[in-house]
Amino acid sequence: MRGSTWARALLEAPCDAGGFPPSVAVCDGTIAGHAYRTVAIVPNPAARFPRARSGEFGLDEGLAVASAVRGAPAGAALISIVDVPGQAFGRREEAAGISLALAASVAAYVDERRHGRPLFSLIVGKAISGAFLAHGMQSGWIGALSDRDVEIHVMPAASVARVTRSSAAEVARVATVVPATARDIATFASFGAVDAIFDVADANAPEPNEIEAIRAAIDRAREAGLGIRAPLERLDGPQAARRALAREVRARIDEAW
Amino acid sequence: MTPALLRRSYVEATPRERIEALADTGSFREILDPFERCSSPYLAEQNIVAQRDDGVVIGRARLAGRDVAAIAVDGRFLGGSIGEIGGAKIARALERAGEGAFLLLDTGGIRLQEANLGLLAIAEICDAVFALRERAPVVAVIAGSVGCYGGMSIVAALCSHIIMSRVGRFGLNGPEVIEQEAGIGELDARDRPAIWRATGGIRRVEQGHADTLAGDDLDELAGALRAAFAAEPNRERLSLERLRRCFAQEAPA
Repeated sequence: MRGSTWARALLEAPCDAGGFPPSVAVCDGTIAGHAYRTVAIVPNPAARFPRARSGEFGLDEGLAVASAVRGAPAGAALISIVDVPGQAFGRREEAAGISLALAASVAAYVDERRHGRPLFSLIVGKAISGAFLAHGMQSGWIGALSDRDVEIHVMPAASVARVTRSSAAEVARVATVVPATARDIATFASFGAVDAIFDVADANAPEPNEIEAIRAAIDRAREAGLGIRAPLERLDGPQAARRALAREVRARIDEAW
Repeated sequence: MTPALLRRSYVEATPRERIEALADTGSFREILDPFERCSSPYLAEQNIVAQRDDGVVIGRARLAGRDVAAIAVDGRFLGGSIGEIGGAKIARALERAGEGAFLLLDTGGIRLQEANLGLLAIAEICDAVFALRERAPVVAVIAGSVGCYGGMSIVAALCSHIIMSRVGRFGLNGPEVIEQEAGIGELDARDRPAIWRATGGIRRVEQGHADTLAGDDLDELAGALRAAFAAEPNRERLSLERLRRCFAQEAPA
């Protein structure tokens, strides 16, 4: 329940917004006098889709996040609290078209950002693959906790091994030599993908001083207008040296276009 | 309908042949072609031979006279996966596109060998599709033998129009991954008829998730692409009301 803990703790005077399924925690409140809405995916053992009971991003979660984002109070900025073990892997999900649930969420975030609503993300746990694309990656500013349970990757290691006809040992070896396949937050940050990393004593029980530091960083980011940055704008950040290749590709395309 | 012997198969065509056949005759000009040697530096370490276009073909073309970006993912190279270079090529082509874009998506999604760089690229591609479709058509074609999966299925869902063939499949998690993650009781990846029934072109059009169904025929797909460019964008696909109804049909009793 790390997600719902942070969704409440981050806001001054948090108030749970009603009308959402138990797997999506939505809180309205303020930081430094400005209005914010936090959105987190949380486990719901009673969820109607069995493959989305452990906090995965499933069909109902996509719809709920999209409506929480589009329905945020006027003038409020959004904070996506990211702790998602992945998208829901299931037969029913595929038949229903789960891609569209994720896309509805992405579309809501992008639409709001393009209309000027600042988007922030705080990674407090796992940030995995499609679930992270749908919830968190469209933010103009992304912060993360420094914690060993904070992980960013695109597929569980066992599945990577199977799909690439490799072995778990080989997948682990590759992570030490190809940074893009590493799972820790520090390596992910080295791509310029994270704006701030916060030390916490216990990521499950935030201390008041830790919360203050994160609130202050978000307030500064809001003040600086960072919340409305598109994902690409991160390419130009000073930390993005490891993405020099993508930058070069773009420049070569521009020359030839 | 073209007689069978004269029909040219989309599945059997290469990505460049597909673009040439779908765009106005002779109009395609490739950008960063294989002679530019833009290949992934991350694969040798993983005992994989890189490809000089990184499995993504982009360029400018005309479609019914419009100046568009043509984008094709090569499903033959690492399952049509998206890495740093291929991802940057797609994103930039969409950002530079003048009067629209078409994407021939034959892709398993993020390239596992470049994991988080692929993830970042797809976030950018999503943003670029969204920006372009506000002013011009962005049409996805899902008609190759890989289908359209993973992060790229989100990209397809954001497009203004989706054309599928009966061969094409459109889903988030591939059958092998579901079987690995959830067990064979959830899904048997070898049960091909069931997979196509649930995620193939016929079903997706029937559901309203995709817009046009075509055969495995380059001429028929070329006609469908022109019709899609002339049509109004699909604004209903991601409507929450519509999705709520669709998803309810799959809920366990």
